[in-house]
Amino acid sequence: MAGTLKHTLDKVTDTVGGTAGKMNASSVTSSDTFVENAAIGNRYEIEAARIALQRSRSEPIKLFAQKMVLDHTTAKHQMSSALEMRETKGVAMPPQSLDSRRESMLKHLAEAPDDSFDSAYLDQQVLAHEETETLMRTYAHSGDNSQLRSVALGTLPVVQRHLRDAKMMKEQRAA
Amino acid sequence: MAGEPAGALMRFSCVGRLTQPSRNLSTEKPLSTKKGTFNMGFNPLHERGIPLERQMRNWSELNVTPYDTRSVHPYTRCRVIFMNGIEVESIINSHNFARHTADVGVKQKLAMVRRAEQQQQKAVNWLIPGDESTLARTIGYEQVAVDLTSWLARQEPDPYLKKVYEFALLEDFDHLYRYANLMDLMGEGRLAQDITGDYTEILPGRPTIFQHRDPHEELNRPMTLTAASPQSVMNAITITAAEQQTMNFYMNVGNIPEHPLARAMYLEIAQIEEQHVSHYESILDPTLGWLTNLVLHEYNECWLYWSCMQTEVDSRIKALWELHLNMEIEHLRVACEMLRDVDGIEAESFLPADGLPEPLTFEPNKEYVRDVLQRTIEWTSWDSQFVPITDLPADHRYFDYQRKVNAGGVPTEQVISQHREKHGGEYRFATEGDHPVASLRENGPHDQLSYWQVETKMARELEGVR
Repeated sequence: MAGTLKHTLDKVTDTVGGTAGKMNASSVTSSDTFVENAAIGNRYEIEAARIALQRSRSEPIKLFAQKMVLDHTTAKHQMSSALEMRETKGVAMPPQSLDSRRESMLKHLAEAPDDSFDSAYLDQQVLAHEETETLMRTYAHSGDNSQLRSVALGTLPVVQRHLRDAKMMKEQRAA
Repeated sequence: MAGEPAGALMRFSCVGRLTQPSRNLSTEKPLSTKKGTFNMGFNPLHERGIPLERQMRNWSELNVTPYDTRSVHPYTRCRVIFMNGIEVESIINSHNFARHTADVGVKQKLAMVRRAEQQQQKAVNWLIPGDESTLARTIGYEQVAVDLTSWLARQEPDPYLKKVYEFALLEDFDHLYRYANLMDLMGEGRLAQDITGDYTEILPGRPTIFQHRDPHEELNRPMTLTAASPQSVMNAITITAAEQQTMNFYMNVGNIPEHPLARAMYLEIAQIEEQHVSHYESILDPTLGWLTNLVLHEYNECWLYWSCMQTEVDSRIKALWELHLNMEIEHLRVACEMLRDVDGIEAESFLPADGLPEPLTFEPNKEYVRDVLQRTIEWTSWDSQFVPITDLPADHRYFDYQRKVNAGGVPTEQVISQHREKHGGEYRFATEGDHPVASLRENGPHDQLSYWQVETKMARELEGVR
């Protein structure tokens, strides 16, 4: 009973945080903030996927998680390369750790009961990808650095497909 | 330069009847290109070219007298091979554009310019003589790759893009060494250094066996036209065209040899050229409109013919570069006009106001290549990043790809072992001392190269799993 209550509270916390994150992402047009948000997003995705690969028993979710590791590693590398370029001179380097919100999302995922792990992962995936999709779309349209706009433009369709797939899996499970 | 365009055409129209002057390679040097020697900017937008309707040549004008393969300056051969690649790219790009536009007016102008570009390609490529063997041409292609890539890397102002060039440079450098051994092994009666002169060393680079990577590893970070240096933009268009023609060359001539080892080696290295085209085209700005891209291609051709004209030592061929430059200036004008009419964009808004100051130059890069060998021999790529091979995790897709394609023997390794067996050693041409990487010296500790150590460790682990 206590576990169920905690899981419900964790889910509410993640949803509130994710909604705030999405709102915040819709106004990111400065290079430093974009790099910081994108880097944290990639790091969270990779770590969440690693938890899913260990804990989920669903083959489609494991395949999805594998894809998240690969695609967000690519996104991380693309950002690192962009930051080596002359076009991004002066832009701050990304943080090497997660923010507290994403830390607690990972903690909630790790602590989710076995029988509701998959739904917890998919709920977080929808939230996280909605936020990243907003970040990429906003920056691609209005960002202040052309190289980073190019990063956002190239990442956006990949993230949109991730979001579509996460939503589809969530709907299939609900059905 | 563009004062009497018709005169330029007339002057070159008799080129096919000129005889090839004999040359002495030991005394002939390319023109100096130290900074300051060619410090005047060249801006093709300010020049007047040959009107399009006066550019067509007849068959005998196009069927030029080839150079003499025994006496041609190595860098003249390089320029001919190189400019053929540039023309082929311009033609293929124009065809692709034509397939993606419904605008009949644009299609007509593309067709007009493309016909002239096709004639230019014939005049350039027909300079290569029929008695220059496929292998001799191959050595020429790889010398182009080494000295062109080196020059571009040295000039590249962007630190990341410089890495992109340096990375593939060591791979083409290795191809030159492998083909040079093949040439000797096949009994061509001619050594690779007879083709390259003493301008380019022939030594192992990053061993070809280790160059085979998962296709994802060739996708680098693109530049943006709005923020990149014009030099970076020109460099990338140039190298993509050059690598593409090497890929096309091996795709088509690789099956000509009868010897199984030669056929196998061409197909193996042809796959790396595919990697290199992917590697370089990925740094181009993918968001450009077709007409902007066309203008950049024409501008690039102007720069390169101007460069060849500045540095060519053969006066007959120099006249061809001059003629083609005068044609390209008009092609650029037509492209700029279409960009203005159709997209409402002025080419001056993204082309450099002062033109490009430095001509691209074929010249020795021995010390530079040695420096890159020392610094980066053990790099590989992971997505768009360049990392030491030891940084890859054990389950990285690189190792899986290596196991698949290298199972059953590797032709670029076999050519060296067969050369050792037949001649008691390898074919190498070094003018600056020992190989800068000890493990790549002929009798060096080969197993100390990290690539060998990592691969050996992986193979052992795999055996353990089985």
